Amino acid sequence: MSDIKVPGFKASELIAGLETAFSKYTDAEKQSQIKKTNGIFELQVTNDAKETVTWTIDMKKTGTVYKGKAPKADVTIILADDTLVDLADGKLNGQKAFMTGKLKTKGNMMLATKLDTVLKGAKAKL
Amino acid sequence: MAPVVSRESQEAPDVRVLSERKEIEAKGEEQEQGVVPIQSLISGSECAAPSNPLSQVLKHTEGDRSLQQLHQLPGSSSSIPANEQDLALARQFFEGSSHGLVPGFSMQHPADLARMSEANARSGMGQAWAMEQQQQQMRAFEDSAKAAWATEFSNAPQTNSSAAPLQQGIPSRPEYQQRPSYMQPMYGNSMPVGLGMYGMNSPPMQYGLNPNMNVSDQGKGKAREVDFEAAFAQIAESFGPKEAQTSRIEEVDDTVASLEEALKNATLNGENEELGTDFQKVWDHLQNSELPPPKEDMAKWEAEFSQLMNAQRDELEDYGANMQKAWEGGLGNFEDTFDQGMKFDGEGIPLLGDYTFEPNNKYLDPSSSRSLLGEAKALLENNGSLSEAALMLEAAIQQGELGEGGYETWVLLGETRNMDEREDAGMRALLQGVRKAEENGTPGAGMLSLAISFTNESYDRASHTMLMRWFRARYPDVQIPEETIRAISTNSSWDTHGRITELFLDLARTQHGKDQMDPELQIALGVLFYTNAEYERAQDCFVAALNARPKDYLLWNRLGSSLSNGNKPEEALGAYREALQLRPTYTRAIYNVGVACLNIGADHEAAEHFLSALSLQESTSGDTSDQLWFTLRRAFLSMKRNDLADLAKPEAKSSLDIFRREGFDF
Repeated sequence: MSDIKVPGFKASELIAGLETAFSKYTDAEKQSQIKKTNGIFELQVTNDAKETVTWTIDMKKTGTVYKGKAPKADVTIILADDTLVDLADGKLNGQKAFMTGKLKTKGNMMLATKLDTVLKGAKAKL
Repeated sequence: MAPVVSRESQEAPDVRVLSERKEIEAKGEEQEQGVVPIQSLISGSECAAPSNPLSQVLKHTEGDRSLQQLHQLPGSSSSIPANEQDLALARQFFEGSSHGLVPGFSMQHPADLARMSEANARSGMGQAWAMEQQQQQMRAFEDSAKAAWATEFSNAPQTNSSAAPLQQGIPSRPEYQQRPSYMQPMYGNSMPVGLGMYGMNSPPMQYGLNPNMNVSDQGKGKAREVDFEAAFAQIAESFGPKEAQTSRIEEVDDTVASLEEALKNATLNGENEELGTDFQKVWDHLQNSELPPPKEDMAKWEAEFSQLMNAQRDELEDYGANMQKAWEGGLGNFEDTFDQGMKFDGEGIPLLGDYTFEPNNKYLDPSSSRSLLGEAKALLENNGSLSEAALMLEAAIQQGELGEGGYETWVLLGETRNMDEREDAGMRALLQGVRKAEENGTPGAGMLSLAISFTNESYDRASHTMLMRWFRARYPDVQIPEETIRAISTNSSWDTHGRITELFLDLARTQHGKDQMDPELQIALGVLFYTNAEYERAQDCFVAALNARPKDYLLWNRLGSSLSNGNKPEEALGAYREALQLRPTYTRAIYNVGVACLNIGADHEAAEHFLSALSLQESTSGDTSDQLWFTLRRAFLSMKRNDLADLAKPEAKSSLDIFRREGFDF
C-alpha cells in the first residue's frame, strides 16, 4: 500500500518503511515484537504547515501500520512531524520529548516510551 | 475544587475591566456607538467591586427588576417576596450558565471582548485567546452542570404564581416564542463545543444588542419607558421569526475524541463569517428573553427546563453507562494489556519462567566425574566457543554442580548466554542465579548483568529495580532515602530513573572526592544513562570504567553500543574492534558490528557479519539465535533480496551454505 504516505510529511517515509518491515515480518518475528511492545499506538502528527495526519501502529494484535485512527488505541501520541523523525533517529527519546512538551499523550503514557523501540530498526546491545 | 479555580481565573479579566474599559469604549465608538451603554449599565463602582461573576449577574438582574418596578405600583409589597424567590431561581440559573456563555451578563466578558478586539488587531494573539476562552468555557461547563442540578431540584417546589409580578408591560407573544431559543442555546452553550465556536465571534454580537440597552439605560422618565417598550416590542418581533433557524443544538457526542475534534473544528470555524451572524441572532434572542416571562409561559418554561435538565441527566447516565462499558471492555485495565504480553511482578521484573535446558546435551554424562564448571571456565578463559561453554555449564547445573554459593554456575551461564546473543536464555539463567545468591545471603552476584539484560530488552522498571538491589548489596553502608526505596515498587520508571541516577551520581562524586573510582558503579551509571538515551553521558561512564579495566571486552562492546545508538556507528566500529580483538568469539559484538553496518547502509557487510555470528553458533551446538536470524532478514530485506529473506526465517534455519553460495563471505 503506497497510500500510507502523506505528501508534506517527513515521517511518511519512516511510516512507509515501518509498514514494509512489518509486512515482511515472519509470524515468529511479529509475535516477538508484539510480546515485547504489546500496544496500539495512535500517532497524530502535525507538520509545519499545520496539517495533521493520523497513523496507527498496532503492535498488540495484528502487527501492522496503517493510516487513520485506531478503533481502540492504548495510547494516542500527539507530536510534530520533526519530533517523530527525531524519535526514530534516536536524537530524542520519548521521555525527553514528553518532558519538553514536544510530545503529548492520551492513554497509557508509559507505553509511549516504547515507541522509540518500535520506530527504531536495529538497536545495538550492551 | 473547580469553583475556586474558576473564581481566580475570572478575577483576572474583571480587574482588567477597569483599564480596558476605555479601550472598549474607544473601539466601540470606532465600529459602532453601542458599546458604552453596556458598560454604563453597570456603574463604575460596580466594576471596581469584587468580581465574582455571580454578583455581577445578580446586579444585572436586580437592575432589571428595578426597571420593571417602575412599571409597577410603587410599594406593592406582595411582589417583593415573590420576586425574591424568582431571583433566587434566576440566581442559580445564571450562576452556572451566564458567565461562560452569555457575553455581557457578567463583567468578565467585556474584558474578554476587549482582549478579543486587541487580538483581532494583533492576529498572533488570536490563538492564545481562543485557548484561554476554551479553558474558561470548560470551567463554565462544570459550573453550569452543578447549577443545573441545583436548579432542577429547586424547581419542584416552585409555584408558577410566583412569576406573576414579573410580567408587566412585556409583549407576551414574541416573548413566548423566544423562550425555547433562550433555553436551547444555553443548553448547547453549556457544552464547550458551542462556546468555542461562538467565542470567536463575540464582537459583532456585542454591538448587536446595544439598541435595547441604550434605551433601557436611559429609560427613567415615563416617555422613555414608552419608547423603550415600543422599541423592545419591535425588536422582539423582528427577531421572533428567525428563531427557528437559529435555535439549534449542537449535537455533542460523548466520546472524548469526537468532542475534541468538534472543539478543534469549532475553533477553526470561528473565523467563519456566517457563524458570526448566526451567533448574533442567538445573542439577540438571549438579550430579549432575559426579561421575565409571562405567567402561563412560566409553567411551560419550567416544564421545558426540567425536561432539558432531565435530558441532560439522561445523557449523564449514558455517560456513566458508557464508561462502565469502556471499563468492562478493558479500557484502563492494564492487567488486560499485558495478557498477551509479558507478565511482570510488583517491581516490574518480567516473569519469564524457568530456564530451558538444551536437549541432547553431549556433556550430560552422569558417569563422568570431571568438573564441568571448571572446564567451562577454562574454555571461556581460552577464548573458546561461547555456545560450547554454555552447554558445559548447563550440564553442570543439571548434575548439581552449582559452584560457589549455589549461584555461580547460573550467573556464569547467564552471562555466557548473553555474550552469545541469546538474551532470553541469559535472562532466565541470571534470574535463577540472582535468586540463589539472595537465598544464600550473598546478594549482588549477577545483578548488574541482569540489569543490563533487562535494559537490552527495554524492561526499564526491571532494570531499575535490579540496579537498586545491586547498589544496596554492593554499598550496604550508603544511606538510601526511604522514599527512593518505596518508589521502586510504586512509581513509574521515569521517576525511579531520576531517583536512582541521583543516588548513584552522589556516590560517584563522593568517591571522586576521595580519589576513588569503582568501575562497577560507572558501568551502572552508564547503563542508567543508556536507558534514558543519554548516550554521550553513557559513553563517558564506560570510558571511565575502561580506564580501570582496559582489557574488559564487555566494556568495549558497551561503549560501542552507546556510540552506535547515539548515532555514531562509525566510531562504534572502532570500539567493537577492540572488543573482538580481545575476544574474537564474542557473538554479541559481531552482531553489533552488523547492526552498525546496517545503520550505515552497508547491508551486504551487515549480512556477512550476522552470517559469521550464526556460523560460530552453528559450528558448536547446532542451535542458533533467533535474534541473529531476525536481523539477518532485515539486512536482506534492506538489500531488496526477498528471496534470501525468506530463507533466513528463524524457523527455517536454512543451511548457511546457501548464503555462502550467494556470494556472502563469512
